[in-house]
Amino acid sequence: MNRVDLAWMAMAAASLTLGLIHLFVWVRQRERLDFLVFFVLAVSAAAWGAFELQMMRATTPAAWSAAVRAGHVPLAIFVVGTALFVRLHFGTGRMALLVAIVGLRVLTLLLNFTTGVNVNFEQVTSLGQAALWPGSFVAVPLGVANRWAWVPQLSNLLLLAFVADASLALWRRATPAARQRALLVGGAIVVCVAATGTMAALAVHGLLPWPTILMPTFVVVLLAMAFELSGDVLRAARLTTELAASERRLSAVVEATPSAILVVEPSGAIALANSHAEQVFGRTREQLVGRAVDTLIPERLRSDHAMQRAAYAAKPEPRAMGTGRELAALRADGSEFPVEVGLAPLRSGGQVLVALTDISERRRAERAAAQQRDELAHLSRVAMLGELSGSLAHEINQPLAAILSNAQAALRFLAREPAVLQPVGEALQAIVTSDRRASQVIERLRALLRKGESVRETVDLNELVDDSLRLLRSDLAHRGIETGVDLQPTLPTLLGDRVQLQQVLLNLIVNAGDAMQGLTPPRPLHIRTRSAEGRVRIEVDDRGPGIAPADAERVFDAFYSTKAQGLGLGLALCRTIVQAHDGRIGAAQNEGGGARLWIELPASAEGMR
Amino acid sequence: MTTGRVYVVDDDAQVREALLRLLQSVGHAVQGFDSAATCLQQLPSGEAACLVLDLAMPGMDGLQLQQLLQQRAPDLPVVFLTGRGDIAASVRAMKRGATDFLTKPVDDELLLAAVDEALVEAERRQGLQRRSTGLAQRLATLTGRERQVLDLVLAGRLNKQIAAALGTSEKTIKFHRGNLMHKMGVRSVAELARWVADAGLPAAPSGTKVQ
Repeated sequence: MNRVDLAWMAMAAASLTLGLIHLFVWVRQRERLDFLVFFVLAVSAAAWGAFELQMMRATTPAAWSAAVRAGHVPLAIFVVGTALFVRLHFGTGRMALLVAIVGLRVLTLLLNFTTGVNVNFEQVTSLGQAALWPGSFVAVPLGVANRWAWVPQLSNLLLLAFVADASLALWRRATPAARQRALLVGGAIVVCVAATGTMAALAVHGLLPWPTILMPTFVVVLLAMAFELSGDVLRAARLTTELAASERRLSAVVEATPSAILVVEPSGAIALANSHAEQVFGRTREQLVGRAVDTLIPERLRSDHAMQRAAYAAKPEPRAMGTGRELAALRADGSEFPVEVGLAPLRSGGQVLVALTDISERRRAERAAAQQRDELAHLSRVAMLGELSGSLAHEINQPLAAILSNAQAALRFLAREPAVLQPVGEALQAIVTSDRRASQVIERLRALLRKGESVRETVDLNELVDDSLRLLRSDLAHRGIETGVDLQPTLPTLLGDRVQLQQVLLNLIVNAGDAMQGLTPPRPLHIRTRSAEGRVRIEVDDRGPGIAPADAERVFDAFYSTKAQGLGLGLALCRTIVQAHDGRIGAAQNEGGGARLWIELPASAEGMR
Repeated sequence: MTTGRVYVVDDDAQVREALLRLLQSVGHAVQGFDSAATCLQQLPSGEAACLVLDLAMPGMDGLQLQQLLQQRAPDLPVVFLTGRGDIAASVRAMKRGATDFLTKPVDDELLLAAVDEALVEAERRQGLQRRSTGLAQRLATLTGRERQVLDLVLAGRLNKQIAAALGTSEKTIKFHRGNLMHKMGVRSVAELARWVADAGLPAAPSGTKVQ
């Protein structure tokens, strides 16, 4: 065994070892086909090494030819495999070139095995001797080149072009990893293919008295590829470490978040819960994990929640849960609490991350604010009715006056000799009517004076206008104000606090009257109701001095008043009330030069006609 | 208790009807108006009558109507009704000659008494009107000289002083005086004086006045 034998066997063994290592990686990571291709390359390189050694040790032209013909099989596999590896590993490379390489190599094999001679030499006439290094002589074929020798040569050229092109494409991606890969793997393949291809071409045509030696370059290519692949293996290991670190970070974040966080399986079972979730639900983590998430929801909301969960699974995206719906959760002791919930899909296996905040405190604050608003509204109503007391007394006084006179008239008709009965009946009927009228006024007043939580009920703005004008009738008459109304006949209703809305309207009407104090009677006041696009609107116009555009917003500020005795709370409160109804209030100049105060409120769904 | 014609002006139908019914129950002839404007348009003239008027009404109010009626129907006494005890308005109304100012709800005794009083006042005003018309007619029959004598008699002058003032004899004055007493249909100077005081003496035609 000489040194050449030793070197070639060592290279083949190294190739096989490298190949096997990568085969094992592929077995564990089946999606990494580049590892499998590498294994095939390594095996074919080793096989070629064996044939190449035979060629160098050949003693007859026939032996040499037999070895080269057999060697074309692993050679073809190595060429095609190299192209495939580049394509798989780089993700670049032209498919057309790849197909052409495969085609040419298949053609090479056909020519090699069907024409009776090897595809390199038509005829090997004799074998020469060349010293590979001092003292180690190997066989060198001499003969006539095959006229088909250009086929494998062309395939080598195409491989060169394919790899160069794929490497350039990768280089252009301009990331350090891509550039390193293009330079190392692409560069090694290009240099080796160029060198061996040239050497083989020269040898075939008898221009180089030197055997065609490919094995060392194959090993170089394999080493470059293996180096690159080992980088991938290391990267995967590094990613695993990073993943573990980021998981630790995530769980630290999850633990530290002031929200209760749950991860829910597609089945509805809880997979993870943080410490805040333990507090919020009053259950330990052990009790939470594995439990169906539905059991944390009040009974009455469960069926709805199941439907919503199915809908979310169909279209998962990070969003808040159930905007506009009432959301509540259950504590271990069965008590309910209002919650706000954010949802985010986790990539793995349809899990959903649920971030949940107990908003009991916020609800309490909102309720307290609403209560304060209601109390302020009530105080202001009482004050307003106090100012209107003379006129309101008149509204009760009128029917009382009618009742008294009717009753006394009836007594006098009865006292006649003989008694006259017909007018007595009429008088009694009139008394009933007047009595009802008086009690209606009192009922209205009582509603306005009542102190209580705000109630949402169906309100018809037209009715509200009629009612308000009836209450203010005497006040308006007394102040020489002539009221015109233009009410849209089929006005949608709305949901709201009837008393507070009436308070707003009374305020606007009284204000309009005040604004016309300087006018000689009659002082015209106009009220209009309209609806458009799901909103109802009411306008109160006067003929007073109007509102300068600059003041159009300021009139709603608290403590802003143009009246000597005004506190400046009326319109500010009106705005607060209207906004609590999701409405808008505004002031503008009307066509007549006076002021127009308007309110817009959303019509209720069933109010739309 | 007199009965007569009573008009009621009130914009509140229930109050108006009740008042009319009460007035009817004691035998008054009644008519209601729902506003000052309808009252002005439809108010009949001639007969002695009175007006029960609501103070606060939309459009023209009670005080404005009263003012307009002072020229249109000076014989019509007005009883005011008001829902509120408005002192300023009541003072103005009374100054303009309202016979009464009542607050609602009004007791029947009060209202009916006020209406009675107003009807008596209406009768009196109509009687005066008639007498003043008679006086004017009789005065027109006097000659210029007789009228001069009348004025001086009412001024309290003696016959002698009148004769001196007019530059004639006392006897002639006596003659004129007898004639004018006859024409005026009175028997004594005292009666003549009361008559004229009641109805008011129209001014003497210009140029006949004694300097």
